[in-house]
Amino acid sequence: MFNSSSWEVGPILRALMRNKVGALLIAIQIAVTMCIIVNAIHIILERQELMARDSGIDEANSFHLISTGFANDFNEQVTIETDLNTIRALPGVIDAVQINAIPISGGGWSMGLQTQPGAEFDGVGTAVYMVDEHVLEALDLELIAGEAFKPTHVRWRERAQTNWPDQTIITKAMAESLFPEEPWQQVVGKTVYINDNEPILIMGIIDKLQAPWVGWNNVEHAMLSPEKTLFSSSRYLVRTEPGRRDELMPKVEEILAESNKGRIIRDVTSMMDTRERSYRRHGAMIKILTTVMVILTVVTALGIVGLASFSVNRRRKQIGTRRALGASQSAILRYFMLENFLISTVGVVLGAALTIGLNIYLVQAFSLDRIDWYFIPLGMLVLWMVGQLAVFGPAKRAAGIAPAIATRTV
Amino acid sequence: MLKMNNVTKVFRTDLVETHALRDFNLHVQEGDFVAVTGPSGSGKTTFLNIAGLLETFNGGQYHLDGLDVSNLSDKERSRIRNEKIGFIFQGFNLIPDLNLFDNVDVPLRYRGFRSAERKRRIEQSLEMVGLASRMKHLPSQLSGGQQQRVAIARALAGEPRFLLADEPTGNLDSKMAHSVMDLLKDINARGTTIVMVTHDPLLAKQARRNIFVRDGKVSELHEVSAFAEDETAASKVANSKQ
Repeated sequence: MFNSSSWEVGPILRALMRNKVGALLIAIQIAVTMCIIVNAIHIILERQELMARDSGIDEANSFHLISTGFANDFNEQVTIETDLNTIRALPGVIDAVQINAIPISGGGWSMGLQTQPGAEFDGVGTAVYMVDEHVLEALDLELIAGEAFKPTHVRWRERAQTNWPDQTIITKAMAESLFPEEPWQQVVGKTVYINDNEPILIMGIIDKLQAPWVGWNNVEHAMLSPEKTLFSSSRYLVRTEPGRRDELMPKVEEILAESNKGRIIRDVTSMMDTRERSYRRHGAMIKILTTVMVILTVVTALGIVGLASFSVNRRRKQIGTRRALGASQSAILRYFMLENFLISTVGVVLGAALTIGLNIYLVQAFSLDRIDWYFIPLGMLVLWMVGQLAVFGPAKRAAGIAPAIATRTV
Repeated sequence: MLKMNNVTKVFRTDLVETHALRDFNLHVQEGDFVAVTGPSGSGKTTFLNIAGLLETFNGGQYHLDGLDVSNLSDKERSRIRNEKIGFIFQGFNLIPDLNLFDNVDVPLRYRGFRSAERKRRIEQSLEMVGLASRMKHLPSQLSGGQQQRVAIARALAGEPRFLLADEPTGNLDSKMAHSVMDLLKDINARGTTIVMVTHDPLLAKQARRNIFVRDGKVSELHEVSAFAEDETAASKVANSKQ
């Protein structure tokens, strides 16, 4: 039965106030640990959320490669058409497309689109993917409004060419950024301007396609430009049937290399590897923060164990006396657990203030998101539990001290 | 009140077996004041520990207040210590970080008394030992004699029927020892049974009954007809300390 008189909150607090240095140091350690752990978890979750974003393409079954011509008689246009026909005809290949940049790969093209012509107007930044009419199938994109490209829309782009085709398909996010006042469905058929004054008709909207730069604020902004490039190097993105990617990667490389000796095939890479490479820094950051959190928690727990063990050893006679005066083993256990709980409470309250302070600094200095309110009580709960678990061993040892120690003179 | 029949206690290590008590027999009536004396290593403290349920024993029988305590659980022993026995230690054993009020409060909290009842008992017992005005002081702010009085107040606050004193004047000068002995006699006169372990025969003579322990056994047992005259006792105590 609960009996409030056996919970010695008042005497423990008064005793702690008379020996506050050790307890205060542990409370500060708990506060700092909580502050760092909560903010680290917040950063980790933010990074994980970034890493879990959908690029819009069928990453699991796609790979890409580069074909670079070097022979004097190397004919880009013929090679590209031959290559695409060859790849598309392979059993297990759903579709393939020549593309100037690979989504989430880290390298690509960007332009600005504006709703009014003229250099005085600001454009909305967007990634540019130069692709042909196979793009929707090859990238597994979902057209949610308007029309797809037809072969007649697709042109060849020369190396030094600066003008743009007069149609485009854009992502829904791009449509909403260009015309924030209008429903995205109504953006189809509107004209936007590139290079300040060149008009482009928006002929379709796709649900999702990320830019090559995963750290970019406008990573959801992308436009498809119906053109194939006549550059010395061509990138192909190939989508396979589920489960056939790894089998087809070396096969496509070999076939293309064999089919034209005037070029080399390089950088055959799966989209999964591309994703892993792009988010490697995030992954490393998560590992580092997790390690720091674990070390900090262990050090704090050891600190609590150390303080509690020291306290138990210093108070052996006192514990024996308490036992002689009628304290049961569970009362001694409860005493030390409660003492730690009170120290931890000071620590986590201080920690809550520090956590908010550090988060405000991180928001201002590094544009991180503000921490969700429930992180604070969760952090407090975790640190309370760490404290209780850490003190349990020393408290159990204290409870095992024999009452007869009270009558010993040394 | 206390009845020990053939109680034995053996301490064992890997190499040595020490018989601290051998067939120890003692019967203490309610309201008695028994002094237990004997040389160092005779088993006095072991007897005290067993009598106070601070330690278990290996053989024999021990009845405390009519209850066979031979096979009680640790929790039951704690409860009986708390409810029936008051302890007075040679080194006072006050908790240095707690003031007098909180020190006397310790056993009362384990007893589960409500706050108002605890306060009444603490004030009453500190009043009885003449320290009610200093209840917010720390033990370190008191003299040895005053600290022992606080320990007595702590022992009495729970109104135990049986008081166990382990060399209660061992760390005190003669004047303070005299005052503490007077207090113990006064407590006994009110009906509390006292068993006091001491190495000092002069102090022991102030008890109603003396027992002498040697080699873990009661070797002598004799009545002291009445408490010695205060002045004589004080003088003997003083002499014994010199």
